[in-house]
Order: sequence, then structure tokens, then C-alpha cells
Amino acid sequence: MASNGSKPKPFEGLRVTDLSWVGVGPTVAKYLADHGAEVIRVESATRMETLRRAGPFTDDEPHYDNSGYFANFNSSKLGVTINLKTAKGKELLKRLVAVSDVVTESFTPGSLKKLGLDYEELRKVRPDLVMISMPLFGQTGPWAHYMGYGHVLQAASGFNHLTGWPDGEPIGTGVAYTDFLVPHVGALALVAALDYRRRTGKGQYIDFSQFEGAVHALGTSILEWTANGREAERLGNRDPEAAPHGAYRCKDGRYVVIACFTEQEWEGFRAAIGRPDWTDLERMRRKWSRLNEQKEIDRHIDFWCRERTAAQAYKAMRDNGVPSGIVKSPEEMHRDPQLKHRGHYAVLEHPTMGARTYDSPAFRLSKTPGGPSKAAPLLGEDTERVLKGTLGMSDDEFTELLVEGVLE
Amino acid sequence: MTDRPDGVPLPHPDGPLSGYRVVDIADEKGQLCARLLAELGADVIKVEPRAGDRTRANGPFFRDEEGRESSLYWWAMNAGKRSVTCEMRLEAGRDLFHRLVAGADAVIETSAPGAAKDIGADPRALVKVNPEAVVVSITNFGQTGPARNLPATDIVGSAMGGHMYLNGSDERGPVRTTAPQAYAQVNLQAAVGAVIALYARGANGGLGQHVDVSMQESMANAMDNAQQTWDILQINNRGPGSGRMVSGREGPRYIYEAADGWVAALGLGGLVGPTSGAMIDWLDQTGEAGPLTAPHWRERLEVVQPLEEDEQELLVGIMEQFCRTRRKDDLVHEAQARGVGWAPVYSPREIVESDQLAARDYWVQVRHEDIGETFVYPGAPWKLSGTPWKQRGRAPHVGEHNAEVYGHTLGLDADEIAKLRRSMVI
Repeated sequence: MASNGSKPKPFEGLRVTDLSWVGVGPTVAKYLADHGAEVIRVESATRMETLRRAGPFTDDEPHYDNSGYFANFNSSKLGVTINLKTAKGKELLKRLVAVSDVVTESFTPGSLKKLGLDYEELRKVRPDLVMISMPLFGQTGPWAHYMGYGHVLQAASGFNHLTGWPDGEPIGTGVAYTDFLVPHVGALALVAALDYRRRTGKGQYIDFSQFEGAVHALGTSILEWTANGREAERLGNRDPEAAPHGAYRCKDGRYVVIACFTEQEWEGFRAAIGRPDWTDLERMRRKWSRLNEQKEIDRHIDFWCRERTAAQAYKAMRDNGVPSGIVKSPEEMHRDPQLKHRGHYAVLEHPTMGARTYDSPAFRLSKTPGGPSKAAPLLGEDTERVLKGTLGMSDDEFTELLVEGVLE
Repeated sequence: MTDRPDGVPLPHPDGPLSGYRVVDIADEKGQLCARLLAELGADVIKVEPRAGDRTRANGPFFRDEEGRESSLYWWAMNAGKRSVTCEMRLEAGRDLFHRLVAGADAVIETSAPGAAKDIGADPRALVKVNPEAVVVSITNFGQTGPARNLPATDIVGSAMGGHMYLNGSDERGPVRTTAPQAYAQVNLQAAVGAVIALYARGANGGLGQHVDVSMQESMANAMDNAQQTWDILQINNRGPGSGRMVSGREGPRYIYEAADGWVAALGLGGLVGPTSGAMIDWLDQTGEAGPLTAPHWRERLEVVQPLEEDEQELLVGIMEQFCRTRRKDDLVHEAQARGVGWAPVYSPREIVESDQLAARDYWVQVRHEDIGETFVYPGAPWKLSGTPWKQRGRAPHVGEHNAEVYGHTLGLDADEIAKLRRSMVI
């Protein structure tokens, strides 16, 4: 995304010490970095970030500076390495926090306390600190120490149960879903707390449980149980309130989706397929009765789609105002004219990975625009600059820490 | 707000956004966003036509009885807001709406680009009505670009946002999550955009701005690493959802059937990688490790590396056998005790009955005094030490707060309000 140098950035002047790792925490901090905060991602080669060891790697060559998985979550950040297991490393981190406004972390609960770096300790060096902890299940409770990734948290938080066909297994979303859901929940609280601090000068601590955030994305499922005593179930591509509603395979093997909630959309759909006789049957004329005929409707659409490419089917629907689309592959997403127009995939030059694409926020701010401004940092790329520049460390002390392994 | 006999919404003076006012004219793409702002302290005013908001007709309904006050969708997405009616197609209604906007810190709207001009709610017009307000526009594809005016619903967002491609099954094709996720995603990401723009008023001389949010882009951000995998390796990650294809490599299945449901156990349940020793020991203790106790298996599995197809089949078979005879909570508890990150596949009921959420005092009892019942709602997504989250009570009835909003908040006198009623504006 093009950034306009004359426009202010929302978080200009805000400094963040980002101790988080893997998916959720770094994505929360990415929001701040992409909108102008100076985010210092603290890592250590002695406890290598999981995603630096996970592909895709450029040239398919595994190396901790070549991971696209890591890079995407860490745009616009600086990279510093500190070994927090050393006494001097802990002191150094406190010096960094003393000049930071925000600390983000996603370790297993208790890890930072063991290091003497929990909120109670850190607020002593920075009383107005805003700190967010964001492990899977929160700081307390019998599951507080449970391990896992987004791919299994989606199971605990209901997404598997609600994804798949009624007669099939709870397949889940195909991605580590909550890793791409709960960062937005976490960022909402963090930025709200920062806005409160902007107006009152008061910092605070946020105990964020990914699990508890994810439950808010289950639509009406919780109330269906607590108020109606009925369990929401996975319905394949059906929707209880639309007919037709589904994904249909076309001649070229690609799929179109079609959704008709209103009579107007149904009329558009009829026009799109040439108003065949079956659409005029009595039982097809009203939505409430169409809802009982979904099997038959789907069979007709399957036949219709089989004779057309996805592009042809989609065009017919689109031209008649039917909510519809193509199930886009990653390749098609990169070529999508709408996303291109929006500049969704920012291209940034990385020292070892070259020009690579990064996800942008789903929103554009008209007056204080954000977006990825710099490729992800190499491991420890900015250690010297931050320690000497931001902390004013002398050459001698820096060399001493380096030699002692504090900066590994 | 002391003249509210039923106390709905509950006051929330201690939230991080307390003192802000938000005007909500959003549909499915923005109502959850506005609700979360209310739970963070904002006074959220839902503006509806006199007949009630269209989404009040969204099911399911309480006890399956359709009605404009019984939609569980409405309850879930609009809890804790105030409701006023305002007929924006009338000129007097537009004037009234603009008075609400003039006193707002944020407006959440979801009209198609250009479509709200005739009701006076075009985002550009609203920015002029109140330059200090943040105007959040949530649309299918964004305000600009060739697709900006195309119709879409949740499944279209999932398809055109690249998410559905990564899911489904080889035989039956792609599948969406039945609880609408394109809607959930765009609501949550819009909420982040809203608070960033509120924060930016500090850097921008107190001025608000337009926040242009795209549902397609919100789903594109949920593609795991498929975006980068295409960019770097020119490989399309894809389904099936029961496996895990990531970084261009197909993984083995990660869900296994237990005696009473399913468990999620990534990476062959930890049989491959640093936890493989612990897993083999566990299987060995119950006599179900098969050949895996042999030193060459222990060595082979300790390092994450591609497995031959027959090796994978053997391991999946062992896992399937092992899980099938045990309860899912027992499996997960024991796996976690051994340092392996499994989780149970929970249904909504099991989530409500979860020990973890009970121990965290998660659930909230929400009183519906109008029907004499109390229901359990999801609780705090975060525990903020200084400015707590708060559930603000049930969703409002149509126009429930007309008198207090138009009278107290806007300061109209009784005659003016009576006139608005007579002319069918409210």
C-alpha cells in the first residue's frame, strides 16, 4: 500500500516491546507496527521462534531468515535478540521496557514470572505500561498450562463442530483458524486500552484468553443452546435461511458459490439460469417452501454448472444481482483485480527473501493510513541500532554484552 | 441515564471507551463490531426504521417463535445497545439522524458504496456532518475497485476471500463454517480499525476520518500461510480440512475419533517431532505402541521429516486405534500432562459446560425482564485490570430508547418528539 509521507501515522511515537511469538501475539503487534508504532520484536537464537523454523522458505531452503510464515506476521518491526535467561539479559529487557509504552507476550502463563519479568515487575520500571498476555486459555484455570496451536484451539472453541457435512466428521476450517481470528479480538482491547491511556495517562494489564475471545465468533450457537436448548450443527454449505445456498462444481473443476436469501435474489437466480420450468413449480415459489427443496435445487444447479466454466456461471449470477462468487485459490487471490486495486498484498523488499507479498489490514484509514511499511526483520537485525540508539548504550557495554552471550 | 426503569443497557462508566458515543446503522457486517464497542464502555445507539431493523427477522428465534423481539441473532449481536427509530427516507428523519451523528464519536455503517446517499448516510456526507467522528464503512469488497458494488453474503466472502479453498473434502468440494465467519471476521477487523481511528484523533488534531473496511480482505487475512506459499513456492495450499496442508506440504489427518466424540491432535498427535518420545512411552505403557518402541522408530520420529506413505498409514492407524477406545477429555488431559498439545472437539453445549471457562468465571447471566427469563451469554473476551469489559444486558426493543435518546441525549422537548411521532419519523 502506498503510504503518504505527509500524513501522520496513528501510533507515531509509541514504542512496543514485542515478546510474543508464533501467530497470535505477533499479529496483534503487527497492527501497531503497520500503523506507525516502533515495534521491537525481541527474540533469542537460544529459543528460536517456531515460525522462523517453518516454511514456506524462499528457494525452498530452510533458514531462519527466509520464512514467509514468520515474515508476514512481522512486517514493519525491528528485530532485537536478547537471551532472557541471563541476568544481564533480564536487566536489559527492563531498560527496554522502561522506554516502551506497550509490552505484548504470548508465553505459557507463569513463564515471565519465573524470569522476574511479569507485569508486576515491569510496571515498576514503567508505571503507565499497557501490557497484554495472550496464551491459548488465559492466565488461570485448569487449562492455563495447556499447550497447542490455532489448529487445535479451533476444535476446543467450536469451529470443528460447526464445519463439515452433517453426515461427516468435524473437519474444521483447513487452517489454524483461531490464529487468524483472535488477534483482532486482542488488538481491539489493546488499542482501546491505549486510547484510554492517551486520555488519562493510565496503563493496565490485559489477561487475554484466545479461547474466550474465539467464542464470540460463534454467531448464535451459544444462545441456541442456552436459550433454546438446541445444539447448532454443521450444515455443509447450506444455510437455514437461504435456498439455494451452496458451492457448486463447474466444468473446469472450479467452484462457484450462490446464495439466495431474498425473493429478489431468487428471481435474479431464475433469470440467470433462463427460468427453467422447475423454478416455476408451486413448491419453488416461496422461500419457506424452497427451504425444504434444497436437495432438488442443488441437483438442478449441479447440472447447470457442469455445462459451464466457473467464470461463465459466476458472470450469469453476477449480471443478475445474485450474491455469488468463485472459490478462489491462493494463486487467484494474488491475481484478483479487486485485491490488486485495493493494494491488499503489499510488496516489500527483504534483505534475503527479496520482494515478497505481505497481508495488509482489511481497512483503509483516510487521514492516517497504515499498512506494512518494511519487510520483517532478520534475526537480531536491529540489536545494535536499538541498544545504542534507543537505549544510548556505550560501545564498550554493547561489546561486553555481545561477548558474554547476552545478545544471542 | 437514570430514567431507565429496566436499566437496559446497564451503565458502564469504567470501560476504556466509556464516554464515547457510537451510532450504529449496520447490518450483519457491523453489528458485532458495535456491540463490542458497547461492552468496552461506549454508548451505542442502534438506529432502526420504524418497522424495526431488517436483521430482526434473522433466525433462529427464541422457542422458534418468529417475531421482531425474539431473534436470537438480534439478541446476540445487539445486546447492550440503545435503540431509537428514525425514518431516514424522510427529510426530517435525515435531519434527526444527522443530529445523532453530530454528537457521535463513531458511526458504524454497512451500506453499499453510494447506496446511502438518498438516506443521508453517505460516509462522505457524515464526515462533513461531524468532522470529529470516525465513520466506519463496512462493505463486501471495499469502497473502491471493480467489485465494489457486487452483492455478497457470508459464503461469498468466504469464497472470494480465499478461505473456502483451503477447506472441505476431496469428494465434496469446499465448505464454509456454518456459523458465519466472513461476517465475524469483518466485524472484528472493523472494530480494530475503529479504535485505531479513535486513537488517531490524538495524532490528527482531534479529527475523525473514514475507515473503509472490506469483507473480502478480512477473509483474505485468514488464509494461514497460503498467501506466502503461493508467492514463494507457487504452490496452492488446499484442503481437505481434516488434514493440514501448510507451506505447500500435505499433512496427515489431525482429528481422531474418540469413544465419545473427537480430538484434535496436530502432527500425528505429537508422534513426530520433539514430543515423539513421550508419545511412544504413553502408547507403550498401554501396550499399543506396536512396532514404534524399536530404536529405529524412536530415532526416525524424533526429527520432523517427511514420512513415506506406508509409514504415515501405520502411525495414523495406531492413533486411530488408540483414540477410539478412550474418552476425549481423558485423552487430552493425559496428552497435555505429557507435554503434547491436544484439544477436544467441543460443541456449543460442551463449551458452555467447560471446566476451564467455569474456573475463569466466564459466563454472564443476562436478564430478559421483558419475558421473565435469564439466559447465559458469552463473557469477557479479556480481563482488563483497569477498565473492565462488561456485558450491558439484553438487546433493545424497537425504539425502546426513543424518549431518553431524543429527549435527554439530544435535548428535544416533548412537543418536538410528539411532532416527530406524528409525522412518522420515529
